[in-house]
Amino acid sequence: MNFQKLHPPERLELRMKHLILRFITVSILMMFTSVLSSAAQLSLDSTTIVRMEQRDIGTEKQNLIPATQFLGIDVRNLPDNNLSLHLYGWGRADLADNSYNDKKADGSLTYAYLHYRFRNPDAGIRAGRLFVREGIINEQIDGISARAALPLGFGVSAFGGANVHTPNLYGESSDGKGDTIYGGRLNYNLKGLFELGVSGLYESRAPALVNYTNGNHRLVGADIWFAPYKVLDLMGNSIYNTETKSFAGHSYLLNIRPVTRLLLSSEFSEYKEKSFLYSWAMFSGAGLNPDERSRITGVRGSYGVTKDLDLSADYKHYSRLSGTADRAGIKLKLSFLDNSVRSGVSYHYLEAEEGFAITGNSSASYHELRSYLMFDGKNYFGAIDLLGLFFKEKIYNQDSALEATLSLGYHLSPELSISGDVTFGKNPQFSDEVKGLVRINYNAILDNKGGKK
Amino acid sequence: MRLLRQIFPLLALTGLFALLVACAQMKAIPGLPASHPEALAIGQQADCSECHDNQQKGTLKPIVNFSHSTAFHLKNHRFYALSDDRLCAVCHKRSFCADCHTNSTEIKPSTKSGYRPDLEMQHRGNFMTLHKIEGKLDPVSCYRCHGRGNSERCIACHR
Repeated sequence: MNFQKLHPPERLELRMKHLILRFITVSILMMFTSVLSSAAQLSLDSTTIVRMEQRDIGTEKQNLIPATQFLGIDVRNLPDNNLSLHLYGWGRADLADNSYNDKKADGSLTYAYLHYRFRNPDAGIRAGRLFVREGIINEQIDGISARAALPLGFGVSAFGGANVHTPNLYGESSDGKGDTIYGGRLNYNLKGLFELGVSGLYESRAPALVNYTNGNHRLVGADIWFAPYKVLDLMGNSIYNTETKSFAGHSYLLNIRPVTRLLLSSEFSEYKEKSFLYSWAMFSGAGLNPDERSRITGVRGSYGVTKDLDLSADYKHYSRLSGTADRAGIKLKLSFLDNSVRSGVSYHYLEAEEGFAITGNSSASYHELRSYLMFDGKNYFGAIDLLGLFFKEKIYNQDSALEATLSLGYHLSPELSISGDVTFGKNPQFSDEVKGLVRINYNAILDNKGGKK
Repeated sequence: MRLLRQIFPLLALTGLFALLVACAQMKAIPGLPASHPEALAIGQQADCSECHDNQQKGTLKPIVNFSHSTAFHLKNHRFYALSDDRLCAVCHKRSFCADCHTNSTEIKPSTKSGYRPDLEMQHRGNFMTLHKIEGKLDPVSCYRCHGRGNSERCIACHR
């Protein structure tokens, strides 16, 4: 790569990435040296999955055997007990035909960052590849994020760095995202009664695209948590797009707990799709109809009859310019033998207006029936999972999509287990579908952190 | 706008002063613990109110609100996580989120955790057929989890 030929923002991003990569590499080496020589606590989460699948595509037959390795590493209590390292990523190698793209091997680093926690005061700083989720912000960056609690109930956080890019769009030389991004949140909390936050993000100019309509990613918004009584809380956020000069969306949830074990929730969301999806180049968000909006209202009730028996019911109403739909359903969850046997059964029905939410058919309505039973014992574990979708009108000449998954496994030790899944399916895409996989889990929890799952 | 420009230096100075004052008093503010003091059972429905009846220091939020009911789980957890994901991190490792929120992945969460149907992972079954319906019902729901990540599978059709 000719560094000089790059545009200044690309050079800046490349420099930043190189700097972060070196920083992470050196830090990791230091961490592991430290782990070996000190009382640092190491936690490993490894999942190896080898899938097996055969596909008939016309006259061509494909044998797919991708082997995927997921690896998570957490190192805590480094030198002064305040520093920790967190890594997670995956890699895949195709042992037969190409399974996903034209690469025989591929992978991704989900996050890799150092976290320094100030015990007193309440503050922290993270550096590396990380997710930032605060207020209206939900981004993956290569950069730095810091937060601190301030006196009188105030709090502040800020982040900045290079965007983590994904594969280029079809026929384009970019994924449609700008190169750098920064933002932050300021919040005020009145002792558990309420929390108000204002947050915003600013991304550098989005690249010009040939085949897609793209826009800059620049948002501001406010979020609220309001809990005047123990039995009631309201939370949600509103987002304003400074590029379209219009509200992008509002999303709120109201929870009421009239009696112990009963939770009643009500949800309201409304999004102006052009403003909310403005920077999502793959769907040419900036080119969407400015009048199109989606609105969802819903209620949900969940009652724990006993500690082992939970009943819930839900209803949602979907509304867009092109039509409306309703979904309602019930769910029952039951566990026995000190939670080692867990089961569930649910039924939902989606009733969509004619012509809404589907192309090529007049009805998108369907019934969904699901049940599962699983056992998690000291030595063996297993599960049966059944799912049936029954369409009101045939899709690709099929009136249903059925899937059954059988999983069996054995704990070789408390940390190490091996399991295998076989899935049988029949659906509008495949008249017969049989898939198998072998999975090895290794979860060495060498500290007192709570359960991962 | 002109007024805003004129008073901006004054506001910035006031903000900086307030921040300095705040920093001087920060030592007294307690933080969240790095992790839950006791390991929690895997697969157990976490009912925080069994032990906690108070506000969690650090977040100052009623901890009873975080009990993991069926309603809390998949559908509503985003409201809690976006409000303050530090409380999630007291019990959950970061990799717990990464089972689904990866920006880039090739295996559906429901396949990765096929031995745990009780987790009710997203996109179970033949979601390729279903996404044509669900995506039109609520297009924003795709974006909320997948963000602006361009999966090569998506690009294959969405050109």
